Amino acid sequence: MNLVQQLINGIVLGHAYALIAVGWTVLLGVARLVNFGHGQIYMLAAFVTWWAVAGLGLPYPVAILVAMAAGVVIGLIMQAAMLRLTFTQDLVSIMIVTLGFGHMMRGIAGLVFGGQPQVLETPLSYIDFEVAGAWVTAQDMAVIIVSIIAFALLHFVLERGSLGRTARMVAEDPKLAQLAGIDVRKVYFSVFAFEGAAVALASALVAPRTPILTSIGFEEVIVTFVVVVLGGIGSVAGSYVAGLGLGIFTALFGGFVSPAYATTAAFGVLIVVLVLRPSGLALGAGGGRR
Amino acid sequence: MNRVLKPAAVLLAAILVFLLPGWLGGVHGAFAVIAIMAVAAYGLDIVVSDLGEVSLAHTVFFAAGAYATGLLATRLGFGSWATLFGAIAVGTLIALALGLVTLSLREFVFSLVTYAATVVAAAIAHNWNVLGGSDGVSGIPTLDLSLGPVRLAATNDAELWPYAFALLLIALYAIRQFRRSRLGAMAMMVHLNPRLATMSGIDVRRVRLAVFVLSAPFSAAAGWLYAYQRAYIGPDLFETYFLVLMLTAVVLVGRRRLFGPLIGTALVVGQERFLSFGGDVNAIILGGALVTALALLPGGLDGLFRRLVTRPTTPAPVPEARPLAQP
Repeated sequence: MNLVQQLINGIVLGHAYALIAVGWTVLLGVARLVNFGHGQIYMLAAFVTWWAVAGLGLPYPVAILVAMAAGVVIGLIMQAAMLRLTFTQDLVSIMIVTLGFGHMMRGIAGLVFGGQPQVLETPLSYIDFEVAGAWVTAQDMAVIIVSIIAFALLHFVLERGSLGRTARMVAEDPKLAQLAGIDVRKVYFSVFAFEGAAVALASALVAPRTPILTSIGFEEVIVTFVVVVLGGIGSVAGSYVAGLGLGIFTALFGGFVSPAYATTAAFGVLIVVLVLRPSGLALGAGGGRR
Repeated sequence: MNRVLKPAAVLLAAILVFLLPGWLGGVHGAFAVIAIMAVAAYGLDIVVSDLGEVSLAHTVFFAAGAYATGLLATRLGFGSWATLFGAIAVGTLIALALGLVTLSLREFVFSLVTYAATVVAAAIAHNWNVLGGSDGVSGIPTLDLSLGPVRLAATNDAELWPYAFALLLIALYAIRQFRRSRLGAMAMMVHLNPRLATMSGIDVRRVRLAVFVLSAPFSAAAGWLYAYQRAYIGPDLFETYFLVLMLTAVVLVGRRRLFGPLIGTALVVGQERFLSFGGDVNAIILGGALVTALALLPGGLDGLFRRLVTRPTTPAPVPEARPLAQP
């Protein structure tokens, strides 16, 4: 009974992880960009969702759209600031700049939403189902369904459609892509807007499961990284499988060993993977899948 | 002429800076913190500026130094020299372990693994009772470096400032010597042209590991003095504030400038101490400074300053400057 409950928790958690990581998968796979402010966008979007529901009295689905719009705006502002660095492919500076944005977002959240923890009660979290003797809320089901839809759409758009071809061309060689008549700026802006919207969507669905604080978001970055690396950098299907695997591992570890060290254990998995196959992960100058 | 003049000018400047907090009305505490955080930033500086990798684990070395000091001083009653040794040893060992794990990682993968190490270290510090858990360790005794009959102790910020200043001078000297050393030259070569470095017979992995491990004692020693300055250590040492502060200090003025991290730290901590707008606004200013320095000001404040100064006068001084520089 307990094992079934933990397995189901793991499946929900795994879909949540995959959904949180989907923006990074696209960012890295399509544009070879990174965003260390990822966790803070997650945090800010959680507050926006809470504010739209509790402050403005909007229905939850509309609040999700408001949060996604906020995510798009944040993504566009970040990309606008980093455009010069993006064109020179200065990944080191981009990493530091996104960290700076993360720190700013934390200050802004503290200023606007205060230091009090908030709890977002969504209508879906009141509906329970019993599955094989374990309990699942409709909120959990929503996470799973939206995650599957997001990954299916992404798979068809990126790996089948012409949009994906364009984006991959930009990732491989921005200058050549520009010569071929592709508006590279537009691709970069869209990719970052998608990253913002995707994190916000994940946050609006996942964050109601826990209290919302300005300090959340760090573990999400680590989880995202583990998912992206385990799944194979830039692989959509790989990220989904890795997210699911990591979610089940974390739930079982948290349920049967120690909840406090679940992130540490996830990091341990990461280290093992890095030591076992480090060459496949070295991205950047000369290495990796290029 | 220059050989006598330059050290004399440096000495005079050092004396002036040393006396400055007294003249400003006893702001020794702020100055001590600036010196300590600058030393921590110098550890990060040689990894970011010379090796060209962004380590996000230097807060771990800093916190490890502070934790080693706090635990050794309160639980085992170690003196300040022994805790200094312990802090540097613990910081260096962690750097060695992390350096070996990340040996073949580059760029953002390296950064994310070091970032993950910071998050995990914070989780351990929060949850492991041996390290004091989320309460941390309080009641750290004051600094006492007395050697035999010579009394070298600090019971308040004003007395601690000379030691922080001395630590800063040692760090500055060490960084200067590192940049002139063979290892420093090899690090730059590995950074700028890894292929050429390999062809020249440089073991790239060994150089990377050496610089990474060498950078840890700076941050750990800063943590050592910080533990004495605050008399308390806790998991708040792992906050991103310290990470962003160190990164901002390194990039704000411009990379590979000897005094860059010091000036950067002084600007950031100075703003927080003397011109504070509350924690949240300070966070926005700090994050904004980091973004501005990299995204809008290539070359940092130093680059901006040079452009402002040289633009109106570029044609004139160039022919004059050359003959003067000859002797």
